[in-house]
Amino acid sequence: MLQARGLTKRYGGLLAVDRVDFDLRPGEIVGYLGPNGSGKSTTVNMVVGLLEPTAGSLTLDGLRLSDDPIAYKRRIGYVPEEPHLYTHLTAAEYLTLVGRLRRIAAPVLEARVATLLRLFQLHDSRYQTMTAFSKGMRQRVLVAAALLHNPDLIVLDEPFSGLDVNAGLLFRALLRLLADEGRMIFFSTHRFDMVEKLCSRVVVLSAGRVVLEQPIVAFDRAGAGSLEESFVRATRQADYAPLAREIFDTIRGA
Amino acid sequence: MRDWPAAVLARHFFGALFDFGFLSDAGAESFKRLLLGAAAVACGLGLLLVRVFVAKYANLASAPVDRYVAAATADHAFLIALQMWMVAAAVALVGHSLFPDERDFRILMAEPVGRAEIFGAKLAALLVFAALFAAGIYAALLPLFGLSLLGPQGSGGVLSRVAAYSAAGLIADLFAALAVVALHGVLVLIAPRERLVAIGAGARSLFLCLLVLALPMIARLPASANAWTHGAWWLAWAPPAWFTGLERWLLGDGGRFALVLRALTATAATAVIAAASYVILYRRFDRVILRPQARPQAPAGYGRRIASKRHSARQAVLAFVRTTFGRSVLHQGIVLSLMAAGGGLVVNGIVSRDPRGLLLWAPFPLIIIGVPAVRLALSVPIEPRANWIFRMTDDRDVHADVVGAGVRTVFALGVAIPVALVAPFQAVWFGWQALLLVGVESLVGWFLVEWLMRDWRSIPFTCAYVPGKGFVPQMFVRGLGAFIVFTSAGAALLALSVVRPSAAAILWCVLATAGIGLLRRRRRLAADTTLAFEDDLPTEVNPLRLNVD
Repeated sequence: MLQARGLTKRYGGLLAVDRVDFDLRPGEIVGYLGPNGSGKSTTVNMVVGLLEPTAGSLTLDGLRLSDDPIAYKRRIGYVPEEPHLYTHLTAAEYLTLVGRLRRIAAPVLEARVATLLRLFQLHDSRYQTMTAFSKGMRQRVLVAAALLHNPDLIVLDEPFSGLDVNAGLLFRALLRLLADEGRMIFFSTHRFDMVEKLCSRVVVLSAGRVVLEQPIVAFDRAGAGSLEESFVRATRQADYAPLAREIFDTIRGA
Repeated sequence: MRDWPAAVLARHFFGALFDFGFLSDAGAESFKRLLLGAAAVACGLGLLLVRVFVAKYANLASAPVDRYVAAATADHAFLIALQMWMVAAAVALVGHSLFPDERDFRILMAEPVGRAEIFGAKLAALLVFAALFAAGIYAALLPLFGLSLLGPQGSGGVLSRVAAYSAAGLIADLFAALAVVALHGVLVLIAPRERLVAIGAGARSLFLCLLVLALPMIARLPASANAWTHGAWWLAWAPPAWFTGLERWLLGDGGRFALVLRALTATAATAVIAAASYVILYRRFDRVILRPQARPQAPAGYGRRIASKRHSARQAVLAFVRTTFGRSVLHQGIVLSLMAAGGGLVVNGIVSRDPRGLLLWAPFPLIIIGVPAVRLALSVPIEPRANWIFRMTDDRDVHADVVGAGVRTVFALGVAIPVALVAPFQAVWFGWQALLLVGVESLVGWFLVEWLMRDWRSIPFTCAYVPGKGFVPQMFVRGLGAFIVFTSAGAALLALSVVRPSAAAILWCVLATAGIGLLRRRRRLAADTTLAFEDDLPTEVNPLRLNVD
């Protein structure tokens, strides 16, 4: 189980994440929602160990991140928000690099890379460097790299960004399968539809603090109790209709 | 007119020529400081050159007119060559932007902008870039030219001499810029599409390399007065001489017409080729914008089996380094151009040293320049924001191994290659003793690698880079001092190894012991500290300790 307790990140005078607590149990998919700038990506970066918390702790099955960051990170697969990859490498080269860094035995790695390339429909482009890849292709490489070492905790930051409908459906089915097999999935996104279809629980963040946490079944399908309405209420978002009108008036006047 | 799409685009393309995307914001700021420092060093050297010229022309004041003219012509050839070199180097450095690329088209073709405007704006930006560069260099070298006007120059008044020099210099700069554009254009047209990027990158690295190799020859031009007096054969093959001939011809020296013909023909030919390639590429723009389909071929290096899990990370880093060096124009350019500077110094040494002395000295300029060059290339990141994968998989157990991968790369490229390049010539001259020389050179080179990499604690190409952390003039003096000490001491040790191997053996042992000490210290340090992924300017304050008793 992943436990975040009092997770805080401060950049000088700016409090990006403020005493965030949540649990993620095996087999659970938790949706992590919040408006832009609410501290979602900062939390994700702390969960995967890329950013050191100013205060608070992260524990994965009793193993504290601060005690043994290497052992902790070895159990995580991560898909970042932006497809930051070494694009001068081919997909196979990148996966091999990641596999070697994760110390996967050579014969296993070789076979797994070839299979994953085929399954993620990257086999035909296996000798092309990723410079020429579309965003969706790069996203598929990142997903394959995150799953290469069969991690216990999968952390996803906007994983459906750039994926086409087919790849999105495949990925959704895969996440469900992974959760059924006991993997923990932490899923940061803006996509309510995906959260409703995939997640068992949602955590909503606003201005660095958790403002809502409840199981997905507790939300109505539509109306005042829906996820979207609850999100807007919890994060105190402005009414967008007047803003949309102002934008429209501006461009009409141009 | 400022808001015309073509003008906006030209400004955008011009700005993009100064975009160093591989540097972080802090790195880019520091790079500007480095450039200012380098300009200060150049000014200092320029002032030194002025003093040399003043002394030279003071001595020539009472010399016969013919001797004075020959000396001034040789100096003008030097100044024109320097101008041409700098313009060619600047245009070659922005070689990737000579023609609109895929990104330009993907972004701009979605806007209501025509293909002609895109090509025209790109060309205009390049011309402005080259013209600004040429004007700056012309202005910087003008004081040196002014000194040569003070003496009895034969025909022509001061104004006509300035006009002739300026016109010849301008055409020479134009030729230098057009030659690079033409070469690049021909390459884009004739290279197979699937290898266009690789060939373009290789050609640019090679061109920069040749430019650096030409530097020692340019440095010898001021001493070419006799060649001008006697009409040496090589003048016909040296482009700067063509344009110096043009200057002389404009001042009424009819004997230089053959050089004039070459200058004008070459300029016209490069102009035609550059224009033709632009026009052809304009019509067949798919050639530069559409990505070629790569031939199916297995990538080298990544398919190799790994002996053990412990070495897995080191193998991963080594394969990453190999592939990056093989594909990154920036990193190839850094290593090749700096190593070519070493090659240029060795070529220069052919004239001033006896063959035996040259063969004992030659490996060391190559090593002392090659090792820092490779270290610098490893420090410059590729895709800085992609390093998260190394940060996530960071493992203290293998720190020494991954740091060692960088050190091995520096040794292989900065020491082994220079030693291998000189070894065949040493074998011809020294026979079996060449084996001994190779061993000693490798030992000295290894010691230098361990010394320069003693504080290295990052994975190659993954750490953000902030250039110019030191005071540039101080770095320059230190570098010059290190070069002189290293090459002299290395050559002396080789000479001793040939003459008295038993005495030299003591020095070999000392070097080996010191090297092993450094290696152990580096491995211990790597295991004890975290790997660096961010580079910062030094923040340590050196207190003046004014209140210390």
